[in-house]
Amino acid sequence: MSENNTINMYEKKAEEMTATHMITAEAVFEKTEGGFLSLEYDGKHYDRIKVVRLFPFSDANRYISVREHDGNSEIGIIEDLGQMSEKTQKLIEHQLNLCYFTPVISKIFKIKDEYGYAYFHVMTDKGECKFAINMGSNAVTKLSDTRLIINDVDENRFEIRDVDKLSMKERRMLDLFL
Amino acid sequence: MNEEKLTSKVLTRLNEFNITNTNILLSSPIDLSFDGNYVKGYVVITKDKLAVCTMVLPTNTINYFRGADKGEDLVDNEPGDYDVAVYDIDKLAHVRLDAFIGSNIFCGEYDGEFINIAAFTNRYQQDMNVLYRKLKSFLHGGELVAEEETESEEEEQAEETKKNKRSIFMRTLRYFLRYRLEVIVLMVTYLVSGVINIVWPYLVGKVLFDHVLEKDDAFLSRFNLAGQFMLALLVVAVLMILARVIQSVSNYLQIFVMAKVSSRMSHDIRTDVFDRMSKLSLNFFVNKQTGGLMTRVLSDSDRVREFFIDGLPMIFVHAITIIVTFTVMYRLNWKMALIACILLPLLVFMTVKLRPGLWTLSGKRHRAEKAVTGRANDNLTGARVVKAFGQQDNEIERFRHPSNNLKEAEINIVKLRNRFAILYNMVMEVSSIWIWLVGVFFVLNTHEIELGVLITFVGYVMQLNGPMNFFSWIFRMWSDSINSAERLFEIIDAIPEIQEKEDPVRLTEPKGEIEISNVTFGYKVGRPVLKDINIKVKEGEMLGIVGRSGAGKSTLVNLISRLYDVNEGSIKIDGTDVKDLALKDLRRNVAMVSQDTYIFMGSVAKNIAYGNENATRADIIRAAKLASAHEFICKLPDGYDTIIGASGKDLSGGEKQRLSIARAILADPKILILDEATASVDTQTEKAIQHSLKALVKGRTTLSIAHRLSTLRDADRLIVIDGGRIVEEGTEEELNAIENGIYHNLLELQNKSMALNMDF
Repeated sequence: MSENNTINMYEKKAEEMTATHMITAEAVFEKTEGGFLSLEYDGKHYDRIKVVRLFPFSDANRYISVREHDGNSEIGIIEDLGQMSEKTQKLIEHQLNLCYFTPVISKIFKIKDEYGYAYFHVMTDKGECKFAINMGSNAVTKLSDTRLIINDVDENRFEIRDVDKLSMKERRMLDLFL
Repeated sequence: MNEEKLTSKVLTRLNEFNITNTNILLSSPIDLSFDGNYVKGYVVITKDKLAVCTMVLPTNTINYFRGADKGEDLVDNEPGDYDVAVYDIDKLAHVRLDAFIGSNIFCGEYDGEFINIAAFTNRYQQDMNVLYRKLKSFLHGGELVAEEETESEEEEQAEETKKNKRSIFMRTLRYFLRYRLEVIVLMVTYLVSGVINIVWPYLVGKVLFDHVLEKDDAFLSRFNLAGQFMLALLVVAVLMILARVIQSVSNYLQIFVMAKVSSRMSHDIRTDVFDRMSKLSLNFFVNKQTGGLMTRVLSDSDRVREFFIDGLPMIFVHAITIIVTFTVMYRLNWKMALIACILLPLLVFMTVKLRPGLWTLSGKRHRAEKAVTGRANDNLTGARVVKAFGQQDNEIERFRHPSNNLKEAEINIVKLRNRFAILYNMVMEVSSIWIWLVGVFFVLNTHEIELGVLITFVGYVMQLNGPMNFFSWIFRMWSDSINSAERLFEIIDAIPEIQEKEDPVRLTEPKGEIEISNVTFGYKVGRPVLKDINIKVKEGEMLGIVGRSGAGKSTLVNLISRLYDVNEGSIKIDGTDVKDLALKDLRRNVAMVSQDTYIFMGSVAKNIAYGNENATRADIIRAAKLASAHEFICKLPDGYDTIIGASGKDLSGGEKQRLSIARAILADPKILILDEATASVDTQTEKAIQHSLKALVKGRTTLSIAHRLSTLRDADRLIVIDGGRIVEEGTEEELNAIENGIYHNLLELQNKSMALNMDF
């Protein structure tokens, strides 16, 4: 009989592994004193959770996986952050912004390319930045024809949301990468 | 690296908390606040305290990242005051470093509560990682030692050499100077054609028209030809022919020598790079795109060669041509020279103005080309999937986009190039007409110059175009070639992470004992895959390794054959650290049959004998038989001589696997690693292989990774790895006896499902 139990247990586990839980507005997110997010969901309390964007580029605020702090098991998925309570939205957005730290470039002052490296001087939503990228590696990723992700030599990310919104002069400087 | 050190301002502030320069053991800069803004800050550790200092920066601060040049900007580095949070180290436990996208968070348990301690970008990942590792080992009861400086210094040095373009130039020059004799011949031919270029217009213009045709006795008498005009004409004609013949011969010689030197130089650079590349550790290849590496080896060496062979010598030749031509023109008639050259700056201006556009466009075309080949490559290799999902039409549509980009880029280039060529030619025509006009005016009205001089002038001005043009693009060529050279040297200079020790220990009589102690390893800093692994495998023992996919099993065996080096701890074979062993001995004594089999282009026999060239045919067949490969090889059209691999016959997954088992059997190693070696063969074949493996593992130390537990039935001992740690260890019975243990459950499940399958 115990053999059957194991089978059942595994089947349950398998079920658990393949099931998709949707986290709805009933779940309670709370900020802990240590600066983490806790979650009250489905009768269980999780004192530290992690949030992961499933479509960080194409749909940043939908399909957010909420995971246990080790990141190994998923508690559930928030289908649409906009459907959650305002407080939850704020808490999760704050967490996401920290985890996906990607300054958005709003203005390009200068790009100088020299001996395999390009030196950027830009204005971002987090302030003025100067960084260097390696031209040899694929430092610039084109998400679409107009959206770019730029990785510096340490793999810090910078984003250009819309190349078309830049001035002619800025675009000409970027021409090297388009 | 000064800024990484603690500033006096932060030290003064820390003084208030009784933290001084003398009792600080570890420190690292940080640069993020928890609300996701750039700050300036430090994490500082003393024997009993951990302090986090942060300073909010005003909005106009410039944030610098690694490699950014901050030379000219003189800004106040510390415009605000530091906020300090102090923690007692003895209340701190379970610290961890979480790496996210673009940010990292250092957190831990403090007084029973889990808290965020500090945040930073990848800029300081390395510094923080050192601090974190030391702090962790301290919390685990280890000794806390101050930072070592050596590492960063080395890095700095590497960066220094990288930036030094002069040294790059000199190093490349050395490749070129290997062919000294050829280079001298080249220079001579360049000089000859340069001299003839200068003499020619003079001969055709001044000498022919003004002296011979004008019957200038004074001039001719200098050559004892007074009055003999026909003879003089003949001499000039012969001289002209001679000049052309010499020029042709020197051109021929030049092309011949150039072809020889340039192909050799490319070859030299290529082999150097390839040689170096094959010595680099696996990590290097994982981090770089194969395609990018290919271009480095193939096209970069050509580009370097181009500049050094086609460009460099021509700089001298053209410079001399320009100077001499100007001097001669000036001596002939300085007024005319001035008038003739008046339009030259316009040409220079045009090239300088229009060329950069051409370069950007060709860069664009190059990228478009890459996108198209990438797409095509993707599609052709994935043809099976494309067809199976009926996506042909969509793929065509998807191909159209990059292809269209390429078309546009090409059209743009042709457009600009045409515009450039037409304009250039026009200005040239105008300038020659201009010289004719002014020249004729001079000839008719002032008698200051004669017809011959005019013709000479036209010849010279036309001739100046070439060198002028050359100088407009040579600088670009130079920087391109230095770029390429730098990329090449990056490989040549890359220090292999896996390096054989000087004077390594030889393994003459291997026994096959493995001892793994306290091993921690991760492919990326801060993300350990294996944590604190301890295991000892006796000589001749068979150890089975079980665990979920992604648990770190393959990583562990990769460490044993030293494809990577451990971060912490040590791996010893026969009591010697693998880092001290000769790589040759290590690789010969450790054979691996892994889950991703690689088949080289060549015959079946060559593939089995890979790394073992001396194997006889009989050996090969025996190995194939033992690996249950013989049967299917017999059925191949050309038996053991069948060509397989990239351009040959395709084998199935199981067949490839059996070949790589045969390869390992033939290698006859002391330590055999089977990483899912029988995963893609059917149960019956597995039985057969297992049977042969049984014979094979005798007298060898074997590590076998398997999902199918039946494969491990003969193992002397088993370990279960989960989450990078060994969680269960023992004989099969022992593990099976653990109620609700991972192994116990897995075994039961597999037995059960097998029984279920039997029922059908």
